[in-house]
Amino acid sequence: MSETTSNILAQDSLSRKSLAFCGYTGYAAIILFIIGGVWLGGMLPPIPNANDAPAELVAKVNDNLLNFRIGSIFMIASFALFGTFGAGMAAQTRRFETSPVFSYVQIVFAAAGTTIALLVAFAWSLMVFRPDTYEPSILLMWADFAYFLALFSVPLFGGWCVLIALPIFFSEPGREPFPRWVAYVNLWAALLFAPGQMVIFFKDGPFSWHGIVAMYLPFIAFFAWIAIMSWVMIRIAHDENS
Amino acid sequence: MSETSQTQTRIPGEPGIWAFVTGDLLVFSLFFILIAIGNQEQTEVFSSARSTLDLRFGLANTLLLLTGSFFVAIGVERYRLNDGRDNRIWFRLAILSGVIFLINKVFEWNAKVSDGLTPMTNDFFMYFFVFTAIHAIHVFVGVVILSFLHKKSQAQFTAETQRGLESGAIFWHLVDLLWIMLFALFYLV
Repeated sequence: MSETTSNILAQDSLSRKSLAFCGYTGYAAIILFIIGGVWLGGMLPPIPNANDAPAELVAKVNDNLLNFRIGSIFMIASFALFGTFGAGMAAQTRRFETSPVFSYVQIVFAAAGTTIALLVAFAWSLMVFRPDTYEPSILLMWADFAYFLALFSVPLFGGWCVLIALPIFFSEPGREPFPRWVAYVNLWAALLFAPGQMVIFFKDGPFSWHGIVAMYLPFIAFFAWIAIMSWVMIRIAHDENS
Repeated sequence: MSETSQTQTRIPGEPGIWAFVTGDLLVFSLFFILIAIGNQEQTEVFSSARSTLDLRFGLANTLLLLTGSFFVAIGVERYRLNDGRDNRIWFRLAILSGVIFLINKVFEWNAKVSDGLTPMTNDFFMYFFVFTAIHAIHVFVGVVILSFLHKKSQAQFTAETQRGLESGAIFWHLVDLLWIMLFALFYLV
């Protein structure tokens, strides 16, 4: 039985291509976010700040209206690909399970994470839809909502990482879905996401949703995690011995 | 792979845990730098806030974690000796020290909040509450890991289990080290 499961990828070129595809969608998600969130959308670095007066935020939005709108489209494309990225990892975990458990759990968390991310892009787009019609404080709420979805969701995104690490640790040596170092990288990623939980207490400083510890660290760590896991999936797909 | 003898030098644990420890230290280094910057820029605020901290809580916590690390080290060493004794007691004692640390922390935070000192009071308390909370999560995770070690330490001796115990112990020692740094920066400096 161990021979069939471990050689499945060697014999099944569709599975190989599918896994590589999922890995490449991870790269695509990063590139789309760099265009939509970093370059155009003003999400990272954050153009809004948690301690902006509502009128200040309205002014910032109006100054960047077209860029933010186009950025929102790129962002939603990026975030939709979290689904393919996450499913790929779950599929690879599934190959090493006799009956699925962690692969199911990962699918749940990938689906939830993708939904949360999509809502981030929705919030951002609503913030820039009709900024002069909404009460200014509603715009502030959309900005708060976007960052809270992304940052305050540590048990979800951090949990997802832990749930990738656990089946690796629980596996028999030599029969792990991913190499052991991947488990440690996922634990480190979860650790780096953790400060995001602090955004509820602060509207300024390093632990606010525009702060270096609670925002920059988790955001950068998250996309670095996507890059690493995508690379791993592509490598497994191309490795004849996996 | 043959069982390693006591005389052969090797690095305990596995490479991944050391990479993780390094990563964790990097993150906490950022925290320490932030505290240092705050100390520099708001010396008055920090020193007066520091004086309201109860050194007894800090010392008790430091002693608890140091003792816990000592117990873990004994437990790992006894497992290596493989002389048939039940080594679980050492891990139980370490778990106890971790749990008491957490209870102690809750009492300490509660005391501060009752005095009207919260993370929003000033930058010193912002860093104090946030970083001790992040550390407390590490202690909690450490206790969970220790409970796995407790179970594993009963098992038949294998080199793989030994490495597993060492890796868990390394994490616990990291938790201890981080606390010592935080203790120094918050309570002593």
